[in-house]
Amino acid sequence: MNEKTRFMLALITPAALVLILFQVVPILTGANASFRDWTLHDPKRTWVGFANYLHVLRDAEFRDIVLPNTFGFMIATVACSLLLGLAIALMLNKRFPGRWLVQSFVLLPLMVAPVIAAIMIRWMFNDQFGVVNAALEGLGVAPISWLTQRWTTFAVILLTDVWLWTPWFALILLAGLQSLPPEPFEAARIDAASAWRTFRYITLPMLRPVMVVCIVIRAIDAFRTFDIVWTISGGGPARATELFSLYAYVEAFQFLNLARGSAAAVIGAIIIIVFALLLYRVLNRFVEVSR
Amino acid sequence: MDIAAVPARSAGFFFALAPRGRAVFFALAAIAACLLFAFPVFWLILTSLRPGTGVYYVHRGTEFTIDNFHEVLSQEIVLRALFNSFMISTLATVLSLGVTATSGYMLSRFKGPIPNAWFSLIYIFRCVPYVAWVLPLYFVTQQLNIFDSYWGLLLPHIAVHICFFSWIMKGFFDGIDPSMEYAAMIDGCSRWGAFWRVAMPAAVPGLTALAILCWLYTWNEFLFALILTAHETPILTVVMAQFVHELGMEWHLMSATAVIALVPALIVTLFGQRYVIRGLRI
Amino acid sequence: MADIVLSNVHKVYGHVVAVTDINLAIKDREFVVLVGPSGCGKSTTLRMIAGLEEISAGTIAIGGRVVNHLQPKDRDIAMVFQNYALYRHMSVRDNLAFGLRNRRVPAHEIAAAVSRAARILSIEPLLDRRPHQLSGGQQQRVALGRCIVRNPKVFLFDEPLSNLDAQLRAQMRLELKELRLRVPTTSIFVTHDQTEAMTLGDRIVVMKDGVVQQVGTPLELYRKPANRFVASFIGSPSMNFITVRVSADGEHFALACQGWRFRLPARRFPHLGSHVGRSICVGVRPQHVRLGAALNDDQIALNGAVTVTEQLGDEQLLAVRLGDGEIRIAGVDPDLSLPTGSQIEAAIATDHLHFFDELEQI
Repeated sequence: MNEKTRFMLALITPAALVLILFQVVPILTGANASFRDWTLHDPKRTWVGFANYLHVLRDAEFRDIVLPNTFGFMIATVACSLLLGLAIALMLNKRFPGRWLVQSFVLLPLMVAPVIAAIMIRWMFNDQFGVVNAALEGLGVAPISWLTQRWTTFAVILLTDVWLWTPWFALILLAGLQSLPPEPFEAARIDAASAWRTFRYITLPMLRPVMVVCIVIRAIDAFRTFDIVWTISGGGPARATELFSLYAYVEAFQFLNLARGSAAAVIGAIIIIVFALLLYRVLNRFVEVSR
Repeated sequence: MDIAAVPARSAGFFFALAPRGRAVFFALAAIAACLLFAFPVFWLILTSLRPGTGVYYVHRGTEFTIDNFHEVLSQEIVLRALFNSFMISTLATVLSLGVTATSGYMLSRFKGPIPNAWFSLIYIFRCVPYVAWVLPLYFVTQQLNIFDSYWGLLLPHIAVHICFFSWIMKGFFDGIDPSMEYAAMIDGCSRWGAFWRVAMPAAVPGLTALAILCWLYTWNEFLFALILTAHETPILTVVMAQFVHELGMEWHLMSATAVIALVPALIVTLFGQRYVIRGLRI
Repeated sequence: MADIVLSNVHKVYGHVVAVTDINLAIKDREFVVLVGPSGCGKSTTLRMIAGLEEISAGTIAIGGRVVNHLQPKDRDIAMVFQNYALYRHMSVRDNLAFGLRNRRVPAHEIAAAVSRAARILSIEPLLDRRPHQLSGGQQQRVALGRCIVRNPKVFLFDEPLSNLDAQLRAQMRLELKELRLRVPTTSIFVTHDQTEAMTLGDRIVVMKDGVVQQVGTPLELYRKPANRFVASFIGSPSMNFITVRVSADGEHFALACQGWRFRLPARRFPHLGSHVGRSICVGVRPQHVRLGAALNDDQIALNGAVTVTEQLGDEQLLAVRLGDGEIRIAGVDPDLSLPTGSQIEAAIATDHLHFFDELEQI
């Protein structure tokens, strides 16, 4: 082993150690546990093969509620934050008086913990004393009991996530917009392109690589959402708004079945890894095209 | 064929508005954006300043008090949680930066099977959902006897940071010209010396930006804290979430706790914004 | 008619004056080159004509119509940018068609215009490719195609050849000249390269620091530079300048500096009279210095020691110490062996001397 190789390995040894001990080992332990009968109160640890996996996959809760919830949430939050973030980025790309003020406000959510955002918005949508219902009453509309029905709870969760992540999109898209070369836009002015045509045929396609990266990163993270769902609804009402990470947590720490929780977690991990690899390929293709 | 004689027409109602109309529309949109993002925070702060009885009519009452803060801060668990969160965030930042800097440097400066393998490893683990390894981590930390302690939280956090921040570190080092390091090595520096004394100082702006982001991220983190701590090491985000589920109606106290948790984040953001922008320009 | 008239055009950015009092009259179908060093205001002037920059003062008229307040799209112009500015995610065909589509031109006319432009520029096989799949020269041709396709009154070029390597640049210059024959259009071409200016322009406008220094045909600028800047800018290798002192010497003027002295008949150079007793600058092109003795009275002689030689294959370039300065000589026989320090004799025809007072031609 030559000196260069030794140096390379030395550089990553501490990181590799931490990674192995605190990611590889737990994942393997979890995978191992998923194949055994392992409840927290009675860890028999006998091998049961794929019994846990089958149980999860056959669980109506998982199939009919958790998976659709998770994918639906992922698609909805990414789409909304992207559109809203793009609109804000376009707005902030122009100079106007007070821009720094708008920019500061828009970037507020970036420093707020998801848990705090969830608390804030849950309070706003409180059915008796929340400001949203008070406003509705003021407009003559009957107050809605937000957190007792599935779809309204979902709407609140979605709103929280969009509130949290739109500024992230806006920031990155703004940086992308500002890095676009000015000449094609000048050529478009000479080519009589209207503002809309310029946006659709020039701005948007040139922003595509940045947008794709954002979408991939955010989609992967949205899949794993836990904090805000836990804080707003705890997965309720009656487990109707559970996302996949909550499902695993509930199995492990409420039903005290570590094995089933791990099985659920592994299934989710596989889904997301496959998804991530596919998206990575798509991403690479886009980055090629746009040199 | 005098093509140019055909006047170009713009599309859409928005642009049919007179410039004055457009400006009004724009201003309204800007105000709407500000309101949307600032309102929840404003409401939270307002609620935290209302006394317990007034919380029921936050928008109509006129009394203001800071008793909520007194009450919240007098609870031992909150004070301990504040302290712990602060220590964990700071320690995790310092340690993570050290570990990810070398990792990112290696990915930037070298090519071949080892860097590729490391890159793939990191990418895969970045995608694995936390829940898949935090659940068993509960078990592993107990086996290692570090459950519900600083190390039990720090090390998993560092593991996550490695996956997140190695990329960004790689980007920083990609932006630093390697010729300086070659020159140093020709001048007699070892590879370590070149890394420490040439590459790292040049990466300081990026490191500062990353330190701020890392601190904020750890300060706001929830899932690990929830699973890997119990009573010995309360963490602020978990304490807040528990208040939500346990305290039920006492929103004035809850919002006070949340505001307290917001303050350090606000300070770090305001202070560090400049460095983050400068550092990420690399 | 597509003549362009700039009257008293100024451009100011805040407190910085970029362009001062430009007056130009460009005839229909003329190819005019704006040339000068970076920051001289040539691109700014071009962009004002295009409508991409606001005009601070003065008027610009295209085809007799004042265009100060017209949008670029309404000025009937086309522009080629330095880095081509092609729409990189559209095919070549779509790049060419974009401007026409925006103007709601019927599809069959667009197709006809696109294939005509592609034929003229020989880019037909490239129509379905994307810009990043093309070489630099091909991209430049597509950019030219975008101009031709709309048949505008004016072509504007903003340093289009600067991003190409030397060989490609020479080739593109030829192609541009051929294009001119097939599609003669009023053109304004901006460059910092004097070779491009000289080879391409019907007339050249030399600019410096926002001010027009001289306007003229290439030969006029070469033979009769209006001031020292133009003299040094046009022609390669650039002109030699020597500071000499003028004194009266009977029917002659004596011009002298350290290491060199010569006389000029007062009859033929009366304008030197007002500079007696002062220093002026003498300019002579390296190509006009000939090795050998002065043959007659219309030539002046100089002597000096060779410092550096540069072998170019078909000629040599010499640098010769003259007094406390250097003079460069071009067109020297490549077979001559002239080691450093060797003394040489050279002669200059008096017709080839230029005189400058401070900066102006005397």
